[in-house]
Amino acid sequence: MSLRIDFVEGIVIAVKSLRNHRLRTVLTTLGIGIGVATLLAILGITQGMDTSFQKQLASLGSSSVYISKQPWVQMGNWWEFRNRKPLTLEHMDALRSQCTLCKSVVPMLDDNEDVSFLDKEMAFIDITGTTADYASVGGYETPLGRFLSESDNDNRSHVAVLGPGVADTLFPLSSPLGASIRIGNKPFTVIGVLSRKGKILDNDQDITVMIPFNTFKGYFKGHRSISIGVEVRSPDDMSAAEDQMSGILRRARQTPPEKPDDFAINKPDQLASTYQKLTGALFGVAVGIGFITLLVGGIGIMNIMLVSVRERTREIGVRRALGARKRTIIIQFMLEAMVVSALGGLLGTIVGLGGAKIISLVSPLAATVKPLTVVFGVSFAALVGLLFGIWPAARAASLDPVEALRQE
Amino acid sequence: MLIELTDIYREYVVGGETVKALNGVSLGITKGEWVAIVGQSGSGKSTMMNVIGCLDTPTRGTYRLNGKDVSHMDDDALADVRNQEIGFIFQNFQLLPRETSLANVELPLVYRGIPAKERRRLAVEALTKVKLESRMSHKPTELSGGQRQRVAIARALASNPSLLLADEPTGNLDSTTGEEIIRLFSELHGQGHTIVLVTHEPKIAARCQRAVRLSDGKIVGDGPGPDIAYEKATAA
Repeated sequence: MSLRIDFVEGIVIAVKSLRNHRLRTVLTTLGIGIGVATLLAILGITQGMDTSFQKQLASLGSSSVYISKQPWVQMGNWWEFRNRKPLTLEHMDALRSQCTLCKSVVPMLDDNEDVSFLDKEMAFIDITGTTADYASVGGYETPLGRFLSESDNDNRSHVAVLGPGVADTLFPLSSPLGASIRIGNKPFTVIGVLSRKGKILDNDQDITVMIPFNTFKGYFKGHRSISIGVEVRSPDDMSAAEDQMSGILRRARQTPPEKPDDFAINKPDQLASTYQKLTGALFGVAVGIGFITLLVGGIGIMNIMLVSVRERTREIGVRRALGARKRTIIIQFMLEAMVVSALGGLLGTIVGLGGAKIISLVSPLAATVKPLTVVFGVSFAALVGLLFGIWPAARAASLDPVEALRQE
Repeated sequence: MLIELTDIYREYVVGGETVKALNGVSLGITKGEWVAIVGQSGSGKSTMMNVIGCLDTPTRGTYRLNGKDVSHMDDDALADVRNQEIGFIFQNFQLLPRETSLANVELPLVYRGIPAKERRRLAVEALTKVKLESRMSHKPTELSGGQRQRVAIARALASNPSLLLADEPTGNLDSTTGEEIIRLFSELHGQGHTIVLVTHEPKIAARCQRAVRLSDGKIVGDGPGPDIAYEKATAA
């Protein structure tokens, strides 16, 4: 008897047997289905968050770095970071005049203040003081109006560029251009609105206001250390540019040669790796739970298959007496386990994808499912069936036909 | 010679002791014979039936079936021999309870790899031979004991084996139905089928052309059915 017939007949017998035990089949299918659904939903959300985070990071620009006294992600002695010499405009000027691999160098300061227009107010908005080239460093566009200019900075003009989130709230109906808003208690004239960037994790980049750097310094006191935004000429030169910047800053800051850098060159992709470090463990646990659910489903399958083998001992004896080889019996029971699992996998895939979709609709978690995930879900379910079907199937095949026929 | 058993031993080890279920049996059965194997329970006739049916292999000795030495074959080869050479008929019918008569009769043909259409034709033919053409789509639970045994006989006939091997085929039937089944065997014998029938009932053995009596794993009588059937079992 050929292997092909073993498989064709095996499928027929499996389907019949599953149809004969409908309730049992449904319950077993559910077990595997829940496992696959859990796993897929978790994977979907993981992938969704990863892709949306990568997209958000790309919005920071891959050819820009942000130099500050302290690194964005601090691991180590906070006090040491804290006691570093402040980063000043002189350091920025040194970069501007000496860094040949840098395209634009801009000063940056940040603070928070309430922003209002007539009776509309937004509390604790992120205010950035910077100069004209920040548009290029940070990858900002101003589809409405214009960005800050050098003369705005030189004249300490009271002008502001609004993030689209701020513009939407303060000016739901009218154009903000030319309007006089208040930052704290000082009036500012709106000269432009930025294009939309979206969120990085929970931080909405569209809720922001930018004003000229010198105006900022006159208004917000007590900022001793600035940040410096740098756009390098080409992302390919990034590491050479970093070396160059580091050298220039060490000289400007008179950092002793034996000491490490007393400033930090922050890159957006550092955030990515930190994010992955932080979330990786969490996702690992979640995926682990998914696998455990599948394992439980698999044990359910094994249990049912053992019952099925015991129940059908005589049938196995009859089939063996009539010429079924051991292989034929193994394939028959393995296929039965795999058909149930694959059914469960299919069910789980549908439920899991639906679940991921629903979660992304009702919560801030984004879920995307790559086609590969679906293939993975169904084939993994079938693999579970295979693994947990082997032992019962082998037991069935190893029955002595004489003994099996004698079974009541 | 269809069946050629030469000095067959079948030994089991039970609780450290060796039990000789078959203790040097030699037997020849030619094509077309109708032979009863009789004996008390424990005489070794079940073991004999398992060995002849290739469900079991002898510990020692040679068994040639249809010219092939089947005493040392591996499991797969034995499965193929059972499928091609032997039609089993069991005391408790051994039909698959959830399958129709037709599907039950088709089963050995499935394992022979015969295409579905041809399988169907052969199964219908076999069921017609046992006069069950009107019960083809019934399941065993919808049939009487006699009808079930006829389905089992049709299943044995369908693959056109060289040997029909029946184990107490009337054991679960009332005497009238049992008689019908014996008459069916008699017909099949008339058509040239070789039949080996294992029974403990002298009445059944007396109907066979030839009977072989087993006692304590040895052949103690071999002759025309009616002569051997009522002979008192004597230890060798």
